[in-house]
Amino acid sequence: MSPEPIPVRASSMLECRNCGAGAPLDEHFCPQCSRILALGRHGDYFSFLGVPRKLALDGADLERRFRDLSRKFHPDYFYNASATERLASLERSSYLNDAFRALRHPVSRIEHLLAIEGLPSARSEEGTAKVPPSLLEEVFALNEELDEIRELRESGAAPETLRARLEKARAPIETKRAEHERQLQELSARWDAQDTAMAADRHATLEALRERLLERNYINNLLATIEREGSGLEAPGSGHGNPEAMGPKP
Amino acid sequence: MSRVVGIDLGTTNSLVAYAENGRPIVVRDDNGDALVPSVVSVGEDGTIFVGREAQRRLLTAPSRSVYSVKRFMGRGIEDVQEDAGLLPFTVSGERGGVVRIGLVDREFTPPEISAFVLRELKHRAEEHFRQHGEFDFEIDRAVITVPAYFNDAQRTATRDAGRLAGLEVLRIINEPTAASLAYGLDKRDRGTIAVYDLGGGTFDISILKVEDGVFQVLSTNGDTHLGGDDIDRLLVEAVLADIAGPKEQEAATVEAIRRAVIQAKWDLSEVEETEIRIEASPSSRAGYRKPITRAEFEQLIRPLVDRTLAPCRQALADAGLQPTDIDEVVLVGGSTRIPLVRRMVEELFGRAPHSELNPDEVVALGAAVQADILVSGRREMLLLDVTPLSLGIETMGGVVSKIILRNSTIPASGREMFTTGVDNQTGVDIHVLQGERELATDCRSLAHLHLRGIPAMVAGLPRIEVRFQIDANGILSVSARELRTGIEQAIEVKPSYGLTDQEVERMLIESFEHAEADFEARLLIEARNEAESVIQATEKVLRRSDTEGTASELFESGERERIDAALAELKHVMTGTERGIVQEKTHALNDVTQRLAETTMNRTVREALAGRNVKDV
Repeated sequence: MSPEPIPVRASSMLECRNCGAGAPLDEHFCPQCSRILALGRHGDYFSFLGVPRKLALDGADLERRFRDLSRKFHPDYFYNASATERLASLERSSYLNDAFRALRHPVSRIEHLLAIEGLPSARSEEGTAKVPPSLLEEVFALNEELDEIRELRESGAAPETLRARLEKARAPIETKRAEHERQLQELSARWDAQDTAMAADRHATLEALRERLLERNYINNLLATIEREGSGLEAPGSGHGNPEAMGPKP
Repeated sequence: MSRVVGIDLGTTNSLVAYAENGRPIVVRDDNGDALVPSVVSVGEDGTIFVGREAQRRLLTAPSRSVYSVKRFMGRGIEDVQEDAGLLPFTVSGERGGVVRIGLVDREFTPPEISAFVLRELKHRAEEHFRQHGEFDFEIDRAVITVPAYFNDAQRTATRDAGRLAGLEVLRIINEPTAASLAYGLDKRDRGTIAVYDLGGGTFDISILKVEDGVFQVLSTNGDTHLGGDDIDRLLVEAVLADIAGPKEQEAATVEAIRRAVIQAKWDLSEVEETEIRIEASPSSRAGYRKPITRAEFEQLIRPLVDRTLAPCRQALADAGLQPTDIDEVVLVGGSTRIPLVRRMVEELFGRAPHSELNPDEVVALGAAVQADILVSGRREMLLLDVTPLSLGIETMGGVVSKIILRNSTIPASGREMFTTGVDNQTGVDIHVLQGERELATDCRSLAHLHLRGIPAMVAGLPRIEVRFQIDANGILSVSARELRTGIEQAIEVKPSYGLTDQEVERMLIESFEHAEADFEARLLIEARNEAESVIQATEKVLRRSDTEGTASELFESGERERIDAALAELKHVMTGTERGIVQEKTHALNDVTQRLAETTMNRTVREALAGRNVKDV
């Protein structure tokens, strides 16, 4: 794991393929000939959308920026342009859509921050396979509980009994998740308050954020396991909005 | 600059619209009819009939006629078995390949059939513009709509159909989104809209957020195999089961039943009770009559309408919304005229749905608005759509690794790294799929990619970045690059349920050849019509001179004989297929009657003017 953050704002410039003028990385249009610039090597989602690299972002402001930039880049408006400009419009639109999707949700925002600050992904396979030390106790208890529930089911226990047991098994995990949400918020606020000069402190904050995300993914997997266990007991009722619309659902 | 039209290529009906000063207008025929039935029929001599005439031929030549071809677009034979049962035409094809539709002696792919419908719409629009005195009336560019839940193969098939019809498809847009554009014209305020689109063959639900003229789709869901056709089939099956005795399930009978139940279905949107009525005919000797109430009808179709609710709930969940968050509900598609559908939608969203615009026309109107946005450069409105299905690749053990998630705003892109498994391996195969399930066998196969020309290296050393790009049409393109050498990789794409570019090219050439044959046939008909009118005009004058006894003053010596001879000759050649000869003899008759025509005209004018002052003229 490299502790060195990647210098994202490199000194390199974009080059306009139309007039050859140089443009800063965050520019979308050539300052000289005003044509759309090829995406090339980009900065990051924060600078692309023109917002500070903070974890507390104004959602309405973000949406407005997304709409404004969509109006500037969208391929619909480059139908008659040159092939180079059409490609640039397609790439910038795609990148904008990715950027907005990533920054819109607090959790994916943290993930992007970790990525551009050079930390390994908190979503990696190894990350979720290993039980985080802080969760060992809960995981152990849950597995025992689930084993018992399965045995009960095989011996023909009433669905109500099984459901009650599952609810009981879920409660401590839910508590743990709520705790994690609080910690993530706290750490996010800490990141936003830290001065760029405090490099070591900032790095510690990022490491802590990453730890929480790994644990959080693990907790979500546990909840999904309980959900699966429960779905065998009854047909799912009317659909409820999943408050965490992250990632694919089964 | 020629116009760009918007086309709603529907399962049951298709129509074309265009924008004039930013307002969309539907193209209608002389009877005010906008809908062209999406039916194609091939005559015994190879003539292609489209629309109403083809629909009539469903009864007289069912085995030569195709309807609802949209259900076969971008699909494989294994997908359509269920439909094939009651259809008059034959459906074939290899497993895992494109469906082929057999019409007695000719085979067509679904895009070719759709291209006939598109060509008809193109001609309609051109005729409309020509009649309105436009100088540049030819149409070669269009925006075509598809169900939002169409996958990549179905979209590509639609684009191929456009190409085959001689249209550059500027954009493929989603039907519910198009409808929201048409509605948005009048109410451009902000809000969250649900568009419920139940058409002839497909169901879509889209949730949109409108703000500052940006129509952003939050989520979409649906079923590309659920629509009015399914309702009709339920009714047909009920009637077939009801017909006692030997079942005459020949194509013409089924078609007669289908027509009768569709009429009854329409009736029941207006009245509480009607009758399924099939007149006695050679194919249905006894005829058939059976009363049906709206309650019975609703009981029969309720399971189908119920199937639309789960996608609605899923779309709401994906948008992170509750039904009460929806400000407006818009109904699209002919099947939303059914009162039960309206009731259930109203119940789900807790508000009365909008239906001010004709649900059959609103999609084409929206497509015309989008066409206008593309060519006018106006930026007041912008449509941001999503991809309806997750895109992934098959990994070890047949598991799908998702690269672009469903409901991602398009254009969208994704990357995936690949490497080699053995030393000096120069090629890599990638299986691309669409769908939400975990296993490749449960998802929709889109294509097999073969990367070639990977620089020879030790196994595991090459770093091949494959880039997946979904464009604003929702259509995928793939590029790959080996990062160590920077070499762009060649990719061979074998679409699973689509035509290769070469196949489309070949069809295009064939269609030109056929178009020439079709064109030739039309010119012949025109030549015959011309001959017919000259014959009639001549005979009229001859009859009149005979009855009035004015022959002596009308004809010069031998003129009458010359005319009679030319007339006989033309009549003789008229039924032939040589257009040149028909024209030649027409001209000959024209020539010998020239003087007579002038004389009779002068007489007519003289008679008309007799007794009138010069000043009055």
